[in-house]
Amino acid sequence: MADNKMSRRDFLLYAMGGWAAVGAVGVLYAMYKTWEPLPEVKAQATTKFDLSKVKPGELKVVSWRGKPVFVLRKTSDMEKCDNRTIAGEYTVVLGICTHLGCIPNWEADKKIWHCPCHGGEYNACGVNIFGPPPRPLDIPPFKLEGKTIVIGEEGPEYKKLIGQG
Amino acid sequence: MEKKGGFMNWLDRRLAVDALWRIMMSEYYLPKNINFLWSFGVLTMLVFAILVVSGIFLLMYYKPDAELAFDSVNKTIMMDVAFGWVFRHTHAVAASIMFLVLFIHIARGMYYGSYKAPREVVWITGFLLFVLMSATAFTGYLLPWGQMSYWAAQTITTLFEKIPFIGPDLVIWIRGNYIVADATLTRFFALHVVFLPLLLIVVTAVHLYAVRIVGSNNEDGIPMTKEEKKVKGIPFWPVFMAKEYFVMSVFLLFFFYLVFFNYSFAMDPINFQPADYLQTPPHIYPEWYFLAFYEVLRGFFFSQNLGLIAFVASMFIILFMPWLDTSPIVSGKRRPLYKIAFWIFIADFLFLTILGKLPPTGLYAWLGFVGSIVFFLFFIALPIISKIEKSQVERTGR
Amino acid sequence: MKELKILAIIVVLVLIGYWGIEPLAHSIMHKHVEEAIKKYNLPDFKFSDLDPLPSGVKGNAEAGKETVKAFCVSCHSLKKEGINAPMPSQAAAQSFGVVPPDLSNIGGILDEKYLYNFLKNPQKATENPKFSMPALGLNDQQIMDIVAYLKSIAKKNITGEDVVKEGCVRCHSIKYQKISAVSPADTMKKYLGKVPPDLSVIYKAKGEEYLDAFINKPQAIIPGTGMPRVGLSQEAQEKALAYLDEISDPHKEQRQKVGLLVLAYLAVMVGLTFAWKKKIWKNIH
Repeated sequence: MADNKMSRRDFLLYAMGGWAAVGAVGVLYAMYKTWEPLPEVKAQATTKFDLSKVKPGELKVVSWRGKPVFVLRKTSDMEKCDNRTIAGEYTVVLGICTHLGCIPNWEADKKIWHCPCHGGEYNACGVNIFGPPPRPLDIPPFKLEGKTIVIGEEGPEYKKLIGQG
Repeated sequence: MEKKGGFMNWLDRRLAVDALWRIMMSEYYLPKNINFLWSFGVLTMLVFAILVVSGIFLLMYYKPDAELAFDSVNKTIMMDVAFGWVFRHTHAVAASIMFLVLFIHIARGMYYGSYKAPREVVWITGFLLFVLMSATAFTGYLLPWGQMSYWAAQTITTLFEKIPFIGPDLVIWIRGNYIVADATLTRFFALHVVFLPLLLIVVTAVHLYAVRIVGSNNEDGIPMTKEEKKVKGIPFWPVFMAKEYFVMSVFLLFFFYLVFFNYSFAMDPINFQPADYLQTPPHIYPEWYFLAFYEVLRGFFFSQNLGLIAFVASMFIILFMPWLDTSPIVSGKRRPLYKIAFWIFIADFLFLTILGKLPPTGLYAWLGFVGSIVFFLFFIALPIISKIEKSQVERTGR
Repeated sequence: MKELKILAIIVVLVLIGYWGIEPLAHSIMHKHVEEAIKKYNLPDFKFSDLDPLPSGVKGNAEAGKETVKAFCVSCHSLKKEGINAPMPSQAAAQSFGVVPPDLSNIGGILDEKYLYNFLKNPQKATENPKFSMPALGLNDQQIMDIVAYLKSIAKKNITGEDVVKEGCVRCHSIKYQKISAVSPADTMKKYLGKVPPDLSVIYKAKGEEYLDAFINKPQAIIPGTGMPRVGLSQEAQEKALAYLDEISDPHKEQRQKVGLLVLAYLAVMVGLTFAWKKKIWKNIH
């Protein structure tokens, strides 16, 4: 019978099995790649926005990678915070409550963001001032091109802000 | 048997995996006098596995909607998804090659008499698998929603119109519309990806189980006795499979050559035009594996009803081979008359396949008619050949 | 060896079948295309059926500029010279069926002889009796001046994408490149009888030989088609086809690379499994 020929240390068997495994890895790699976001999704990785379109005191919501980004042009009566201010007078934050991920509402009269889920509050800098949120609203990676902000790309201004924080 | 570890032992007591393994693999003995044609059964399993895996990945981006289907295939899958084109080419070529492998598998069974007693159940389940695979291929062909997809589905569903009394209503019911439309696409989709593959798997299990019970046929058609099996036979696992690996590798080399470098036979150019229910392409034809049967349908060009009956008969008559051929000799190798009939049949099938794609006019129409008659003559000849052989055996006493 | 004999039989049968359903069937089904190609020697970039360029008449680009301004810009735009279309494209499409093309680069994609004949008699040059542009009744000198002028202002080193955008996109969309036809579908349907097909994967659907002949002389391939002969020069047409090929099959290069890799992998696998089979079966025969 052939059974005794198949010693476990059989080089040929290992070579064949190993080579089959190489093929399997190749196939798995192709399968892995098919699940990556499609080009049109990847194209949305960055969002460009013209900051000068925001009037003083006004809030605009920009969609970036399917998430809201708050762009607030601050006025002098709002909180100052050099380490969270972009292009001199803007607060640009990811509009997702750092507590449990709800989207806070801007209350223009009180000049705060109020989260409808658990009552968390953030001031005009996006810093948490009341309630359960554990930290300020996150600042998305950005790059400045003149008055245009490119959200989703890390520019020198972003690195500087993060370094300060 | 080597000693099993704790877990295998535990499992064996509950599932009898050892016994199952012995029946299905390690103590399933094949005779030595078989050639590589006996490897084609395993090849169909391989191609089926390829179809399932590539199909699952197509399914992740395909949209079964008349508005979206064409673009989801030709733009999203073919252009945007990384390696999406590999999965589509593989699926399309595998569907085509499945039939090549099936035809060879069936022809081997015919030549060596593998349909004869006691293998009727193997033959019947095998025939069912062929019908189910044809249905799967047909429903799948509609999914890209190209011109060829559309008009193939339109014409084939129209065939049901000829069924007496219920025909016209049945066609509308099958389509879910007066023409092939969105409803047709979505129901074909459901059949193609869930219902038919499930049936295929169940029938395959019965097919494989049945062949374990009655044993494999061989070139001479003389079965091994129980004693001979252990001495002369080769166990399916691991010895026969060692040969299979080689056959599979050669097959895959050929298969992937087609996938990457010669795929157009499986992906008709006309299907790169989106389905248009107002314009039929100048030439429509089924995929190559249906051409022979399609030619039988067209062969009786003077009578549509006769053509339809012949078409249905051509697909189903093969099921009755075990009862048409009652000769005591099993293998075609030892049946000179049968051999001649068999090769005429193979040549005729090839002839019909080629003719099936040509326009059915003038000389081609008549050739198609002759080819169709020859197709059925083979099955009519079977009982006659059996009778002659029976009397010969009686005379010579074997 | 018996097994090789069986394999040889299968190979022969498969090859006969393949020959029958592919080359043979195509040669019979596409007979009229091949006949037309032979008959007219397509693609015919000499435009043999048209009149030759007038001998002894030399175009003057300066004079041509004035002629264009006098005769053409009442319908066409000429963006390079800052001349916009006299009417909005919607209205133009309503009156002409399609939006008249901008003339800035037209001299770079059309054949010179064709352009001369086109200006003399648009219906004859396009082989389309319904073609909207009327003959202007210009003399040979004026026409050659226009030709010289249009050639002089056209963009040099034009790409295949440019050719397709200038020459095809007025009527055809290319959905997968996010390009929509300039003219609206409904007016084209009235004018041409049907909405012209999308070009995204047309190269795969029709193939190079067919497109090369069809673009060059549509009426020879599909008599009565709404598609006019546009008169692309040989260079422009080759570039356009290369572009259509590329957009219809963007992964060609990757496919060839991956394909060779996979085949090499399997060739090694064939060797290994063969050695394994030999080893296991050594004592069996």
